[in-house]
Amino acid sequence: MAGADSPSAALRRRDLCARGIRLAGKMRSDVVDLLDAYVEQQGLDASASVAAVEGVPPAAVERWDEQTGTQRLLENLAAYRAFRGLLAQMLEEQREQLGEADAALGRALAAVLLQVSAFAYHLEELLRLESRGPPSDEGDGPPPQPQSVFEQKLRGLGVLRELAQWAVRSARDLRQLAKPGPGAGSAPSPAESP
Amino acid sequence: MRIWGRPKDSGLVESISLLALHLLEGDFAHSFAVPGWIGLALPCVKMANPVPSACCMVLAAVVVVYAQRHSQPDSHTQFERVGADVTMKCGSMDWDAAVTWTVNGTDIDESHLNGSYLILKNVDLSQSGQYSCYEGSAWHLKYQTTLKVGTPPREPVLMCRSNNYPKGFYCSWHLPTPTYIPNTFNISVIHGTKEMVCEKDAVPKNRCHIRYLQLFSTVKYKVTLTVTNALGKNYTTVTFDEFAIVKPDPPESVVAKPVPNNPRRLEVSWQNPSSWPDPESFPLKFFLRYRPLILDQWQHVELSDGTSHTITDAYAGKEYIIQVAAKDNDIGTWSDWSVAVHATPWTEEPKHLTTEAQITETTSASTSSFMAPPTTKICDKGAVVGSGAVAVCWTAGLVVAAYSVLFI
Repeated sequence: MAGADSPSAALRRRDLCARGIRLAGKMRSDVVDLLDAYVEQQGLDASASVAAVEGVPPAAVERWDEQTGTQRLLENLAAYRAFRGLLAQMLEEQREQLGEADAALGRALAAVLLQVSAFAYHLEELLRLESRGPPSDEGDGPPPQPQSVFEQKLRGLGVLRELAQWAVRSARDLRQLAKPGPGAGSAPSPAESP
Repeated sequence: MRIWGRPKDSGLVESISLLALHLLEGDFAHSFAVPGWIGLALPCVKMANPVPSACCMVLAAVVVVYAQRHSQPDSHTQFERVGADVTMKCGSMDWDAAVTWTVNGTDIDESHLNGSYLILKNVDLSQSGQYSCYEGSAWHLKYQTTLKVGTPPREPVLMCRSNNYPKGFYCSWHLPTPTYIPNTFNISVIHGTKEMVCEKDAVPKNRCHIRYLQLFSTVKYKVTLTVTNALGKNYTTVTFDEFAIVKPDPPESVVAKPVPNNPRRLEVSWQNPSSWPDPESFPLKFFLRYRPLILDQWQHVELSDGTSHTITDAYAGKEYIIQVAAKDNDIGTWSDWSVAVHATPWTEEPKHLTTEAQITETTSASTSSFMAPPTTKICDKGAVVGSGAVAVCWTAGLVVAAYSVLFI
């Protein structure tokens, strides 16, 4: 594999970043539409504040501009892997609750799940390019199951809201990564420095 | 010698007045017995002839007046609502004391007095001013107050916006109606459970700014503005999330130029607003609108990248007005429109000089402002053969004429 700093690797990184940015943009647009449909279908108040839900990775970050490229990729990957599990659970819950009553919502959920999976794979590719390789996908097991139907609905709201934020953050992260020059790639960890 | 005041316990005014009296009565020997005024009295003691005595009298008079005017009772300020009834007491004077009230130096008619109290009913803004109360005919100032008539504040108008994302945002405010008295504004910003500091701008004074500590947060910001004055207080609260308030400033340096040898093109370029800190990481997209001055309807073009665009469907020879707006690629709302620029597409130089009068006298379709589409063919009478060909020719001529009308 070409070194992380070789011209071909740099070109590949820029290409992956550009595609990732487009994917994140499409994903965000679909998540926003899904969020509107979900709120309406579940009878929720769109302006309701949802406390941080266990297992939902928050997009909020401090000192975002100081993160290294590797940090950005690792945090993004961990988030999207978590969303993959959460969306799969939401899809299952939605089928159990409504069956075929709202197939459109189910299809929209499935489409977003697919995009999330694709984006996670995209991030893994970028990490391989950084000569780091993605961490294993063992994770912490399936996300915790909400106790009640209402809790399921609120969690679903929280998941989609955070996912919409992540989609914006991911596009920004990839733009930072795509920038030429130092800081765009990964800073060597203490174990890797010469 | 008449002694005025109480020599042993004289206050400042009394002391000065006593001195003045001694000077006026020629009692130069006693004048410097008044404590603290030796420096003033000694020159007068030394003088024995009439001219310097007159000088001393003038000096004394000045001293008395100065003392009365500047050795004043404490000055007050009072705030009253428009429409209120105001009663002013003359300091510690009794109700039945003989007093004179003035406002901004002008005597107030006795009809406004109730004993020594000044009564102002249903005050209005024009009655703001300095009110003074003088005792009797001696014009001894006993009380002074500045009346400020105003209103309690109405609910303020508060707006928050981020034109420099992701650095931070600012909030600005104003009152919907003036209160005519001083107001103080206090702003609080809460993000989740955290209270943030909004640093006030020096200019303008009704604005403060906050640096983002977190980005991409779903937690809303809650901003509360409280306005307080001497007559009351009011407040307003706005709640928003990070993305919703992002609104860049308009694009800058918009330039529109004709394209040589292209009568239907205009080249437009602009720059990112200078307040947008990192257009590379947070790119902007743009919205361009343009129309000929003679029409009301705008054409719109949305541009996802780049800071230039070529208009290719301009009407030849017509002056255009062009504006550009900007928006973050992913979040927030469109900026206001930029400053408008004007441009006219390139036109071919006329073969001879044409004055304005000659243009207006031209009866045929004005060839200087319209150029026939390249595919149009003009009928040549000499080439016409037979009635069928004539009909075709006239039809073509009608089409050309219709086209001309559309483009004028």
